[in-house]
Amino acid sequence: MNIIPCSIKTLKGLYDISGVEVGQHFYWQIGGFQIHAQVLITSWVVITILLGSVIIAVRNPQTIPTDGQNFFEYVLEFIRDLSKTQIGEEYGPWVPFIGTMFLFIFVSNWSGALLPWKIIQLPHGELAAPTNDINTTVALALLTSAAYFYAGLSKKGLSYFEKYIKPTPILLPINILEDFTKPLSLSFRLFGNILADELVVVVLVSLVPLVVPIPVMFLGLFTSGIQALIFATLAAAYIGESMEGHH
Amino acid sequence: MKNVTHSFVFLAHWPSAGSFGLNTDILATNLINLTVVVGVLIYFGKGVLKDLLDNRKQRILSTIRNSEELRRGTIEQLEKARIRLQKVELEADEYRMNGYSEIEREKANLINATSISLEQLEKSKNETLYFEKQRAMNQVRQRVFQQAVQGALGTLNSCLNTELHFRTIRANISILGAMEWKS
Repeated sequence: MNIIPCSIKTLKGLYDISGVEVGQHFYWQIGGFQIHAQVLITSWVVITILLGSVIIAVRNPQTIPTDGQNFFEYVLEFIRDLSKTQIGEEYGPWVPFIGTMFLFIFVSNWSGALLPWKIIQLPHGELAAPTNDINTTVALALLTSAAYFYAGLSKKGLSYFEKYIKPTPILLPINILEDFTKPLSLSFRLFGNILADELVVVVLVSLVPLVVPIPVMFLGLFTSGIQALIFATLAAAYIGESMEGHH
Repeated sequence: MKNVTHSFVFLAHWPSAGSFGLNTDILATNLINLTVVVGVLIYFGKGVLKDLLDNRKQRILSTIRNSEELRRGTIEQLEKARIRLQKVELEADEYRMNGYSEIEREKANLINATSISLEQLEKSKNETLYFEKQRAMNQVRQRVFQQAVQGALGTLNSCLNTELHFRTIRANISILGAMEWKS
């Protein structure tokens, strides 16, 4: 019995030092639902950053682009190239979707890595990147699922479902399973990467507050960008896959 | 085992920060590291981004310049083609005028020639008519003369007796004799 208070003491001391919080959320009650408010707040900030910068950059378009416009045109070109390589010839209608996915995830990840969210204290939990929460990534992944179903059905009609028995009917269960694993893998990959990044940084900061976390933070920036790119690329690839092979 | 459960219970009831507020602990908010990261990012990222965007701008500029030049060249060509078109139209007008006057002259010549030949034809027609009339008159005259001679022969045959016959022969002989004498 002597061990318990001792361990409690050490644990408490550890928490006091680290201040690492996992699974702590700041709840809002909307209707019958419990909402993770910190995710909503950071999402709003990210949306504000995106919309504001776009509005500022595109407010006065020039033939020869000025700095902001030039940057945003470059980003647009990048997204268009990405969707073109993944989707193919009919990529046009999907550029907004892919671009939204990429920009939202990218800015979310980088805001988690660059903005000093922890300055603002919440009653529960703490502010972090929106993609740090599994709900956000699941929502994004399910949107991707809906998008590629819509793409396939609107392109091929009901013959879209022929792809489930495409090589042989034996693969039908696996093909059906794929529709579930796609959003699952998308959401878990993003969520896990971002959460791991931030946790590593937080833990390192709590252990050694200065200098040591910096390389890990750069690594976090790198992985964040890569994850956003991977998510957008995979979403585009799924959409392209469900649209291809139509004769 | 109980130890572990207890620590989890403890975790669940970990006291929260309370309410909204500002965390002023510089180390806990990781401000210094964030500043360094953002600084490095801006310091290195700025150059890369600037290069990238400058390249893009230059590409756009050169594309615009190229198309401007192409446009200018095309406009020049259009101008040239228009000038040539005008010249050719002028020439065509000239040729057309020349052709018209030539045609007019030819027409006048043709009309002249035709009217001359028409006149000749008229003249020859008149002559033919005249000759035809003459011939018809001759024929009629011959016929009348023949009938008169026949009538005279009939009369002669019907009312010629011997004495009258002799007288006539004599008279004829004297005429013939006078003719022979004369010749």
